[in-house]
Amino acid sequence: MAATQSIRLTINGQQHELDVPPNRLLLDSLRYDLGLTGSKEGCGIGVCGACTVLVNGKMVSSCLMLAVMANGTDVLTIEGLAKGDELDPIQRAFIEYGGFQCGICTPGQIMAARALLNEVTRPTEEQVKEWMMGNLCRCTGYYKIIESILAAAEVEAQAKGA
Amino acid sequence: MLTMTAVQAPQKQLSIVGRRLGRVDGEEKVSGRAEYVADVLLPGMLWGAVLRSPYPHARIVKLDTSRAGSLAGVRAVVTADETPKRTWGVFVRDQPVLAIDKVRYVGEEVAAVAAVDLDTAREALELIDVEWEELPAVFDPDEAMRPDAPLVHEERNSNVAATIEVERGDAERALAESDVVVEETFQSHPQWHAPIETIGSVAQYTPNGKLTIWMNTQTLFMARGRIAWALGMSEADVRVIQPYVGGGFGGKSCDDNNAMLCGLLAKVSGRPIKLLNSREEEFLAGSRPRVPMKISVKLGFSRDGLVQAKQIRLVADNGAYCGKAPGVFGVSSLRHDTAYRYPNVKVQSYLVYTNKIPTGAFRGFGNPSAEWAVEQAWDIAAEKLRMDPIEVALLNAAEPGYVSPHGNRVISCELKQCIRKAAELIDWKAKRANRQPLHGVSPDQGTAQGEQYRGLGMGTTVHVSGKRHFGDYDGSSAVVKVSEDGKVQIWSGEGEIGQGTMTVLCQIVAEELGVPFEDVAISRADTDLTTYCLGAFGSRLTYIAGNAVKNAAAAVKEQILETASELLEASAEDLQINEGQVFVKGARGRSVTVAEVARARQFRRGGQPIVASGSFDPDSVLQDATRYGNESGAYNFGAQMAEVQVDPEAGQVTILNYVSVADCGTVVNPIAAEGQQEGAIAQGLGYALTERILVEDGRPLNPNFSDYKIPCTLDMPPLKIAFADSYEPSGPFGAKGLGELGLDPTAAVLANAIYDACGVRITNLPISADKIYRALKDREGGEQRR
Repeated sequence: MAATQSIRLTINGQQHELDVPPNRLLLDSLRYDLGLTGSKEGCGIGVCGACTVLVNGKMVSSCLMLAVMANGTDVLTIEGLAKGDELDPIQRAFIEYGGFQCGICTPGQIMAARALLNEVTRPTEEQVKEWMMGNLCRCTGYYKIIESILAAAEVEAQAKGA
Repeated sequence: MLTMTAVQAPQKQLSIVGRRLGRVDGEEKVSGRAEYVADVLLPGMLWGAVLRSPYPHARIVKLDTSRAGSLAGVRAVVTADETPKRTWGVFVRDQPVLAIDKVRYVGEEVAAVAAVDLDTAREALELIDVEWEELPAVFDPDEAMRPDAPLVHEERNSNVAATIEVERGDAERALAESDVVVEETFQSHPQWHAPIETIGSVAQYTPNGKLTIWMNTQTLFMARGRIAWALGMSEADVRVIQPYVGGGFGGKSCDDNNAMLCGLLAKVSGRPIKLLNSREEEFLAGSRPRVPMKISVKLGFSRDGLVQAKQIRLVADNGAYCGKAPGVFGVSSLRHDTAYRYPNVKVQSYLVYTNKIPTGAFRGFGNPSAEWAVEQAWDIAAEKLRMDPIEVALLNAAEPGYVSPHGNRVISCELKQCIRKAAELIDWKAKRANRQPLHGVSPDQGTAQGEQYRGLGMGTTVHVSGKRHFGDYDGSSAVVKVSEDGKVQIWSGEGEIGQGTMTVLCQIVAEELGVPFEDVAISRADTDLTTYCLGAFGSRLTYIAGNAVKNAAAAVKEQILETASELLEASAEDLQINEGQVFVKGARGRSVTVAEVARARQFRRGGQPIVASGSFDPDSVLQDATRYGNESGAYNFGAQMAEVQVDPEAGQVTILNYVSVADCGTVVNPIAAEGQQEGAIAQGLGYALTERILVEDGRPLNPNFSDYKIPCTLDMPPLKIAFADSYEPSGPFGAKGLGELGLDPTAAVLANAIYDACGVRITNLPISADKIYRALKDREGGEQRR
């Protein structure tokens, strides 16, 4: 086993210092070193999007990123999305519009959608489909995921007065 | 006997059933806090890994685990020697937990390791020494049926695992007397469930001899029975707990060895074990894929379009062990005879062992493979009859009171309504009238006309609401109690796999009791804490578990009214419960809350809780040796239609519009019901168009999500979903099943539309662009030669 390496990073607004082997995946570090099991492993090769987190605001497949590469970054996972008891508008929309069934891909879907809405205020349906193509879901057929994201975008746009 | 006349819905106003309510597992799932099996952590937990066969058929000459066992960090290594060496299986006990003397498919479990982490466990696998003697293997079912084929199981004299030979009426005579006869052979392919969560377990063995397994199964109690049998334990010593399940679709109904191995490692090591399939393992030896079949269909019609006979010959690929395939190929053989009124049918079906992954239960359970063939044969027949396929379907569709040749008794049935509604939604008549049929027209002319290469296709389906085939019981039971704060708790062991059953059962109980939906909660499934339940399969839970919880709630309601009548000094018949208040009918002022009733009943001398169990077993029968018998209490129907455009230069298919209408009786939760159809259609499109496993010498070449293409957002067409106005008298508030029918006809619907668009009939799945392109080019060549 290779020697561990010390990294410092911000996760969901909290400072963390971790000693990780250089081959430790960010996903495994989140899940097993920190107990943040909301991010899921679906394929292990960066195709399904179940492990999506935001690193410095950008959408990342945490199953493809080494923990040491996240040194000095700001990581947001599904556990950090709600503000206290107040769910993010995307989370609320997923409940209201049925944007999930089994829920295993849902944290990744919601984090990917968060990244999109951080960049685009009122995305079109086509933009949503294009952006979300890397987040696989086997339950919903995607219709209600897309509906949820468009509805959340509208709520946020109105809140911003846009 | 239930009435056979047209079904009338009762007048009762529903306040909770039928509403677009958010799901009870919503907050947990959107916040990442829902616990799945991979998230279960126990103190001292080890990781498991499995050594798998690299050969499709080989004898194990030597198996030496000593080097693996002495690797630092390894806590247990197991082979068949650590098992009771007994085979297991739901219909046929033919599968070992770990290979005994020989392996029968690539990926079969040979040994397993438990170690302090996954890297160490995998390293240990490489230290296991196996000496193999390769044996001749057989992959094609037709070849496997030949007398000189290598035997997958030597103790059997043949590779034929099961046979169905059934004739009702005189099909051959009816075919001979038919005015129009069509005949075609179709090949279907395997499909993997590919839920985003793979199969996995966490097991803990305690010194009292108890094995507790957290597993993502759809069928807890049947899993418990199989685990106990396979490991030589008593069922009471095995406890199965279901965490949230990340998608099942039939693939998590415990026909594989994951939980057995996890339990075995826990027993041998004395430590908790986590054993999760990697995505590759899931394709090699995890969920049991859809049974591939070659189906020859022969249909006979009278000139006026009435069907006279159906004859099918079916050869199904069982793979190396019988899981659910013996049930699946039965459905493929017989079920369609409940959708259309066939007077004469003849079936010859063979299920054949091969040296491949065992096949089994996948949403649709034999229907999608059969309908791929039969619904195309109906389309071919309509053309030969010079009739609109919709006309032919309406002429022959099942209706209330229909009894199929195999004894299925149809009560509520709105198949005709489904067909008409779907046709309306896709504007079938106008589009069909305007389109220029391409058959016989050269592709060049087609392109010139711009609108050409567009076509319409349709298909119908029937599905069960639960099927009686695991012994003579297809029921459910549940317990409902009212707490001292008036909140209601349901205990059900059926299990949530994402389909929304927890929410639907809460709605049914809230409706029956007259309490707010928010006041009803439901337990997770746990074999130690809930009564016996068969689980989630066969589109059974809304109908069967729904009736069980409704009956439990009705019994609870009696207790509430009994105590309330004392408190309100009124007779129980004069009381009503609404929004958690018990009041005297016509005198709203005289009321108590359900919470007050619960406290009054509990906190007094000799007090009692408000609690009751409820059961339901539908009015169906176990099919006899000739496969005769009404297999389900209620039948669900559906019709789907597609409008497609084919690019003749690339063979590419674009789905312009897709429509699906289902008859599931009362819709309990429209969001969940739409979601069931939408998700099923996505899987149906994957089955039809994009999902394909490539196999070389029994070895899957693309066992991963980048090369096995399940649909993504960009693959989904414009879609309209609707429900027939329908009421099932034996269902809870008129509801029946829905989960599976949404993908049954999808592949055939597309094939029919593609034929209508370009005159090419694809008979082997998947419908890939290259097949269409080649068929178009072949036809062009043929025309030039003429």
